[in-house]
Amino acid sequence: MLSIILLSIFGIVVLFLGFQKSKNILLPATLLCIAIAFAANFVHWNDAPGLYFKEMLFENRLTMSFSAIVLLSAFLVVALTRGFADDEAAQPAEYYAIILFSLVGAIMMIGFDNLIMLFLGVEILSVSMYVLTGSDKRNLRSNEAALKYFLMGAFATGIMLFGIALLYGATGSFNLTDIRGYVGTNSFSISTLLYVGLLLVLIGMLFKVSAAPFHFWTPDVYDGAPTVFTAFMSTIVKTAGFAAIYRLLSGSFEGIYNFWWFTLAAITILTLVVGNITAVYQQSFKRMMAYSSISHAGYLLLSLTAMTAQTPDAIVFYSLAYSLATVSAFGVLMAVAREKSVQSHENAEDFEAFNGLGKRNPLLAFVLTVSMLSLAGIPLTAGFWGKFFIFGTIVERGNLIWMLIVAILMSAVGIYYYFKVIIATYMKDGETGALRVPPFYRIVLIVSTTLTLLFGLIPKLLS
Amino acid sequence: MNLLLLIPLLPLVGFLINGIGFKHIPKSLVGVIGSVGPVVAFILSIYAFGAFRAGNNAPVIIQLFDWITVGTLNISFSFQIDQLSLLMLLVVTGVGSLIHIYSIGYMSHDAGFGKFFAFLNLFLFFMLLLVMGSNYVIMFIGWEGVGLCSYLLIGFWNKVTNYNNAARKAFIMNRIGDLGFLLGIFLIIQTFGTVEYLPVFEKAVGMSVGDSAIAAITLLLFVGAMGKSAQIPLYTWLPDAMAGPTPVSALIHAATMVTAGIYMVVRSNVLYALAPDTLEIVAIIGLATALMAASIGLFQNDIKKVLAYSTVSQLGYMFMALGVAAYSSAMFHVITHAFFKALLFLGAGSVIHAMSDEQDIRNMGGLRKKLPITFLTFLIATIAISGIPPFAGFFSKDEILAHVYEHNKLMWALGVLGSIMTSFYMFRLLFLTFFGDFRGTHEQAHHLHESPISMTLPLMVLAVLSVVGGFMNVPHVLGGHSALATFMDPLFANAQRANPALFEHGHLDHSTEYLLMGVSVGAALLAMGAAYVLFISKKNVPAADGQESGLQKVIYNKYYVDEFYEAIFVNPMRKLSDALYSFGEFIVDGLVKGAGGLVKLSSGQLRQLQTGETGFYVFAMVVGITALLLWNFGAIIFK
Repeated sequence: MLSIILLSIFGIVVLFLGFQKSKNILLPATLLCIAIAFAANFVHWNDAPGLYFKEMLFENRLTMSFSAIVLLSAFLVVALTRGFADDEAAQPAEYYAIILFSLVGAIMMIGFDNLIMLFLGVEILSVSMYVLTGSDKRNLRSNEAALKYFLMGAFATGIMLFGIALLYGATGSFNLTDIRGYVGTNSFSISTLLYVGLLLVLIGMLFKVSAAPFHFWTPDVYDGAPTVFTAFMSTIVKTAGFAAIYRLLSGSFEGIYNFWWFTLAAITILTLVVGNITAVYQQSFKRMMAYSSISHAGYLLLSLTAMTAQTPDAIVFYSLAYSLATVSAFGVLMAVAREKSVQSHENAEDFEAFNGLGKRNPLLAFVLTVSMLSLAGIPLTAGFWGKFFIFGTIVERGNLIWMLIVAILMSAVGIYYYFKVIIATYMKDGETGALRVPPFYRIVLIVSTTLTLLFGLIPKLLS
Repeated sequence: MNLLLLIPLLPLVGFLINGIGFKHIPKSLVGVIGSVGPVVAFILSIYAFGAFRAGNNAPVIIQLFDWITVGTLNISFSFQIDQLSLLMLLVVTGVGSLIHIYSIGYMSHDAGFGKFFAFLNLFLFFMLLLVMGSNYVIMFIGWEGVGLCSYLLIGFWNKVTNYNNAARKAFIMNRIGDLGFLLGIFLIIQTFGTVEYLPVFEKAVGMSVGDSAIAAITLLLFVGAMGKSAQIPLYTWLPDAMAGPTPVSALIHAATMVTAGIYMVVRSNVLYALAPDTLEIVAIIGLATALMAASIGLFQNDIKKVLAYSTVSQLGYMFMALGVAAYSSAMFHVITHAFFKALLFLGAGSVIHAMSDEQDIRNMGGLRKKLPITFLTFLIATIAISGIPPFAGFFSKDEILAHVYEHNKLMWALGVLGSIMTSFYMFRLLFLTFFGDFRGTHEQAHHLHESPISMTLPLMVLAVLSVVGGFMNVPHVLGGHSALATFMDPLFANAQRANPALFEHGHLDHSTEYLLMGVSVGAALLAMGAAYVLFISKKNVPAADGQESGLQKVIYNKYYVDEFYEAIFVNPMRKLSDALYSFGEFIVDGLVKGAGGLVKLSSGQLRQLQTGETGFYVFAMVVGITALLLWNFGAIIFK
C-alpha cells in the first residue's frame, strides 16, 4: 500500500517540478518515482495478506505481482516519452503527474476490497486516460479520440455504478467479503438484484478491457492517441482491468459460477473472433495492435471463464508477457514513425513503415520480430508460455474444450497479421539508409526483448 | 559445488564473445578467448573430481530451477555429478582443451577463424550439458545441440557443395536416431512419470526383467545411440563427416560426441539390465559394425577416411561391451579411445597441414624424417589402437574381449578377427604415410615442414596419455586393482539389484585370461607383420581409383551401402514427395487458401461495423447489454 501513498505524493512533487525552467529533469524524476514505487511495492512481500484503510484495500502476493507488472510497464513506457518535452506547446509536468496519478488508480483497481474503491480506481485511471489520449492538442484525431473515449467511458461508468448500487441493494454492503458471505449463506434465495448488479458491473469492467461487443471505442482511440499513450493504455489499463475482474469474481462470486460463466464464455468467444478476424484487414499498424489487444483480452477472459486455481498465475504471466511485447512493438513503431514524420506528413503508422527495417536497423527489426512472435505465441518467447498457461486452465476446467478449440483457431489467424509485420521488416524493400535510434529507446527495447526471451526460456523464473 | 556451473558456462561465454564479436576481435585474441574457457573448465573438472572423491561418492544434484511443469510432470534444469559424468567431464574438457589449442595453429590461415572457435565453444557447451544433465530432457538438449554444432562444423567450408551435402547427411541421419531417442523419452515419461535419472532408476529396480515397456524404451534409446554413435544402419554419415576441419573430426567425430550414445546406454544401465533382449541386439549390432567398418577401413586411401572407419569400428567394440553388460569396460574404452583416436586425427591433421591439404596416402610416404614429432606420436597411437601392450588400447580392448568371451565364444572370435583387421589397416596407414619414398608432387615435397608448437604440444600430451592411459584400469590378473572399474561400481549397484543374473558369470581363471591376451596380442602382431611385408618389404601402393577388382572393389566402395540407401529410401521418398506435392498443390493448398479467403472476407465484413460514429458505438453497446440481460433474465421478464 506504500506505493499508492508514494505515487500520490510523487505526482504532486512532479507537478511542482514543472515550475522550473528546465524540463529536462522531469523524465528522470518520473522514472525515479516509478522505480521507488516499484521497490516499495515489495515491502510486504513476505508478510501475510493484509487489509488496509479500514478494509478498503487488500494486499497479497497476487496483487503485488499485478502492481509490479503495472509499474514495470509504466516505467518502460515512460522511458519511451523521451523527446516528449521538446514540443514547445507541451506541458510535460502535467502529463507526467497524470501518469503517476493514473498508476494510483490502477493499483487501487488491483487491490480493491470494497466496491467504492473499485469505482474510484476505475475513475482515476479512466479520467487520466481521457486526458492523455487528447494530449496531442493540435491533432484533430487525438482530440476526437479523447472525446469519443470520454463519452463512451462515461456511459460505461454509469452502467457500472448502477450495477454497484444494485449489488448494495441486494447485499447491504460494498465489501467483497460481505458480499461473498451473502452469496454463500443465501444460496437458495439470492435476490435477482444481485444477478443484475453483477452483470452490469461486469459490463462496465469489460468495457474498460475492450471486450466485444463493448470494444468499439478501442481502434479509434488507440489510433488517435499519441503512440506512447496507446502503449500505456494497452498495457496498464488492461492489466489493471483484468486484475480487477479477477478480484471481483473470485472474491465474491465464485459461489454463483454457474450463473456467470456462460455469459463470460459468450463474450470471450465473441471477443476472440472479432479481435482476430478484424485485425486481418488492417493497414495501419496501430489499428492492428488495437484489434490485437482486443484479441488478447479474449485470451485473458478465457482463463477467467475457466476460473481454476491456476487462473491467477496464468493471468499474471500472460499480462506480463503481453505488456513486454506490446511495449517493444510500440517502441519500435515510435522510433520508425518519428523518423518518417520528420520527412513527410503522411500517415507514418502503416505496415509499410517497417519495410526494409531489417537492413536499416537490425536491432529494431529483431526487437519487433521477437515482440510479434511473442504476441503470436511462438515458443521460446514469453507469449508462448502465456498462452500455454491460459490454455492449461481451460483444460483443467474440463468441460470447456470447445472454447479452447476456438481460441487455438483464432491464434492461428493471429499468426497471419503478426507475421505480416515480420515479412514487411525483412522481405520487403523500403527506404534505405540507416535509422538512428536514441540510446534511451535502445535500452528500453533491449530490456523488454531480453525479458521476453528470458521468460520464454525459463517461464519458472516468475514464481 | 556451485563452481561446477562454470564448467558449461565458460565455453558458452567464449561462444558469445567470439560469436558476436568475431568481426572486431583481433585474430590473436580469438584463439586465446576460445581456449581459455575449456582449459579453465578442465581445471574445474579436476577440482570437482577431487572434491567428489573426498566426499561419500553419492551423486550430487545441482538444482538450477524448475524448468517446465505440466500437470504432474516436472522437468527441472539441474545437473547430476557422479562417477559417470565426472569421467565424461574430464575427457570432454581435457581432450577438448588440447584440440582447441591445436586449432590455434591448424586453423590459423583460415578466413573463418573466429567463427570456427565460436562453433567449437558452442559444441563444448552442449556436450557438457549432455553429460552433466540430471534428466533425459537436459541430455536431449545437449544431444540436439551437439548435433547442430556437428552440422555447422562439417559444413564449415560451406562454399564446397560436397561438404554441405555431407553436413546435411549427418544431420538427417542423426534426425532418424533423435526421433527414436525422443520417443524413448516420451515412453519414459509415460512409464515412470518423471525424466530425472535417479527416480526413474529407483522405480525401474522394482520392475521385472523383460518388462515390455522397458524393452521398448531401451530399444528406442538405442536407436538414438545408433544415430549419434554411428552404428549399423545409421553409420554412413560419419565417414562423410570427415569433410569438416580435422580438429572437428578429432573432437566431435572421434573423441566426444560420437561416444554420447555409449554414455547414454551406460547412464541408463538399470533399464538395459532389465532388457536382456535389447542387450543382445546391442551386442550383435556392435559386433557387426565393428567388423564391417574395419573391413572397409582395409582398403581406404584417404587418411581421414581410414580413421573414420576405424572410429566406427571402435564404437562397435564399445557397444559390444555394453551388450554383454560390461559397462565399465565400455567406458574404459571410451576414455582410451578418446586419447589415441584424437591423437591419430590430430596427427593426420598435422600431416595434411604439412602436405598442403593432401589427404590421399597414395601421394604420401617417407614423412617420418620431415615430421619427426608427428611420426613418433602417430606411431604411439597406432600401437595403442592395435592393442599391443602396454599401451592404452591393449587394456581396454582386452577387457572388452574377455567379457565377450564369457558371454559367447563365437562373438569373441569375430571380435579378435576385427582387431586383426584394425591392426592391419592402422599399420598400413602408418607405413604408407611415414615410410618408404615420398610420392607427392615436387611442390609438396618442398613445403614439407613440422607443425608449430601449438599443434605438436597437444600431440605430445595425447601421446603420453595413449601410453599410460591403460594403467588406470589394470586388471587383477596383471597385478592391478581395476581402479576405474572399482570407481564406477556404485553406478551399477541398482542394475545389479534389478537383474542379478546378468552379472553372475563364472570368473575366468587366470590361465584363460592369459591365453586370451596372448591370442589377441599375437593376432595384432601378426597383422602388423603382414602390413610390414606388404607395404615396406614389397613396397606395394594401393591401386588408383577404379582399378580395384572383385571383392576389393566392393569393399573399397563401402559395400555400396550408400547406393543401397539411395535406391531403397531416398529415391522412393523423392518420388512419394513429388507425388504428394502435385496432389498437395491441388487439395491442401485449396483448403488453406479457402480458409484464408474466408477469414479475409469476414474480416472485410466485420470491419464495416467500425463506422467511426460514437452514436452507433453506443447503440451497439446497448444492443449488447440488452441481449445479455434478455439471455440471463428473459425467463423472469416474460414469465
